[in-house]
Amino acid sequence: MGTFEGLLYGLQTATTPTMLFYSFLGVFLGTFVGVLPGIGSLAAISLLLPVTYYIPSTAALAMLAGVFYGSQYGGSIAAILLNLPGTPSNAVTSIQGYQLARQGKAGLALSTAMISSFAGSILGLIVLIAIGPLLARVGLEFGPPEYFCLMLLGLIAAASVGEGGAARNLAMVVLGILLGLVGMDVNSGVQRLNFGIAELIDGINLVALAMGFFGLSEIIASAGTSGGKVLDADTSLSSMMPDKQARRRILPAIFRGTAIGSFFGAMPGTGAGISSFMSYAAEKRLISGKPGHHPNFSEGAIEGIAGPEAANNSGAITAFVPTLTLGIPGDVVMALMLGAMLLHGIQPGPMMMQQNPDVFWGLVVSFGIGNLMLLVLNLPLIRLWVILLRIPFSLLYPAIVVFICLGVYSVSSNVFDIFLVAGIGAVGYGMSLLGFSPAPLLLGFVLGPLMEENLRRALLISRGKLTPFVESPISATLLAVCVLLILGAIVKSVRRQFVQRSIEVKN
Amino acid sequence: MGQRDFSGIIGGALLIAIGLFVAQYSAEHYTTGSLRRMGPGFLPLVLGLVLAGLGFIILVPAFFRPGKLPSIDSKSAIFVLGSIVIFGLLLPRFGLIVATFCAVLTCLIPDPKLTRRGKALTAVTISTITYLIFITGLRMNLMVWPLV
Repeated sequence: MGTFEGLLYGLQTATTPTMLFYSFLGVFLGTFVGVLPGIGSLAAISLLLPVTYYIPSTAALAMLAGVFYGSQYGGSIAAILLNLPGTPSNAVTSIQGYQLARQGKAGLALSTAMISSFAGSILGLIVLIAIGPLLARVGLEFGPPEYFCLMLLGLIAAASVGEGGAARNLAMVVLGILLGLVGMDVNSGVQRLNFGIAELIDGINLVALAMGFFGLSEIIASAGTSGGKVLDADTSLSSMMPDKQARRRILPAIFRGTAIGSFFGAMPGTGAGISSFMSYAAEKRLISGKPGHHPNFSEGAIEGIAGPEAANNSGAITAFVPTLTLGIPGDVVMALMLGAMLLHGIQPGPMMMQQNPDVFWGLVVSFGIGNLMLLVLNLPLIRLWVILLRIPFSLLYPAIVVFICLGVYSVSSNVFDIFLVAGIGAVGYGMSLLGFSPAPLLLGFVLGPLMEENLRRALLISRGKLTPFVESPISATLLAVCVLLILGAIVKSVRRQFVQRSIEVKN
Repeated sequence: MGQRDFSGIIGGALLIAIGLFVAQYSAEHYTTGSLRRMGPGFLPLVLGLVLAGLGFIILVPAFFRPGKLPSIDSKSAIFVLGSIVIFGLLLPRFGLIVATFCAVLTCLIPDPKLTRRGKALTAVTISTITYLIFITGLRMNLMVWPLV
């Protein structure tokens, strides 16, 4: 099926009343969840996962995806008005956005964020449509060695680009893989690492892991605080539209942001979060201090919003590229989406376009429709979200805690999982205190068993020899990139030690 | 600023301990197999050793590096995690409403701003909302009221 026919087919699939309803529900919940601090798209998607059992597959995936990119929109609202980003990738938006809001230009900041997000999404969608089928065709050549190397690259990329040191992130990845190995080994029937606990035979509950590490640590950290003061925003539509001068600055920033976002989104192991940070750094370096440019970044520059917002939205969309075409999750949330697809019996990967073209193209078109819904609905609905932000956090987070308990329980109706999530929450909080970030761990958790399977198969076929990994051009290239990344990380940390040492010597 | 980066030291030490434990446990309890035919214990053993190695890489430089000890918000942690445990304990025998009510109250114990009435009111509100979402809306199979 060619791209054009695929799009038409997708349009047909995505515009049924069921699909439209669940797309809308997804983007609405996504924005809602993005606006609320302390709970992000990761939390919402993992809580909604068990619910999607009862919904037709494509609609369920469209809804979950809607939650994902919808939360990027909502998060920027919280970032600008409250200085508390709703999702990690909106963190940079709060830097410039809150500044502008303090100057009374909240409306401008909000509309810039919305428009850039929309533009980034649509451009990212074009990239997805252009590259997706091509990548799927390449993916058909992939065998176990290639898959193993690609997943390895994804994990190493996540470890070297994420924050904290590369060694810490790599340790998290390895720990994640080990946690993923808990439970029954499919090949031998042996129960691994569950220490006799019967409830762990099926492995650790993914929702419990995600909630415990991400949701609970956030909540514990924010529970004691009183939350920020919500700034007033003049939300009349006319005040919010950027004028011509602003438009001239926003547009190039959007294109730059989209390019950065699409690149990082499409790479396995990195996704929307990294994109926005990279874009912010790029904008700062490009714009700050340029003659004739009135803004410098300490005063509130809209490029600092437009670029990162375009980046994180395009990154969110292009993160689906490796997930759908190769079956390799682009980042943590994609790992959950992968889990959701497997639950519905859909095997993402190169075969997906042939076996489930309605799912692939239906999803693609639903992204476009969903983003359109977000743009059209959010500009007038901003007033609603602002009201939501005014609810004191101390009233919200107990509800969130209860929802987490119920969400975790709903996966296997096991009370053990509720205690499990508390335990994981404690560990996660400790980890964040010690400076270890949980995202690589979740990636390792999801990819680990898959990697073991591919490694085992590859070694079985080659009768124990490691040569196929370097003989095949694809896997050799991937391995080479892995090595480069590791070397790069080592060089970076050695250089940092030297710089620190020389500073100490000077003093 | 401390003399040593304690978070790195503690983190590294923990990783070494976990890594070595997993490696040793796997070697003892599961067949390792060979490269040609990987047994269930192969990957846990290798990864356990890798983890210990990474822990070592983190530990050693941290020893020579000054760092801050992070502040622990133990009050929030205890009450949030405690409320989850209470929820898990109450749900099977006392049902959704009681479990939710008690969990919310536990969460709010350390809150200095809400009055006792305010906390009770919040607990009632959240219990109602939870009922509406999970029982009425999602029709989850949950025991709602205590077994009387």
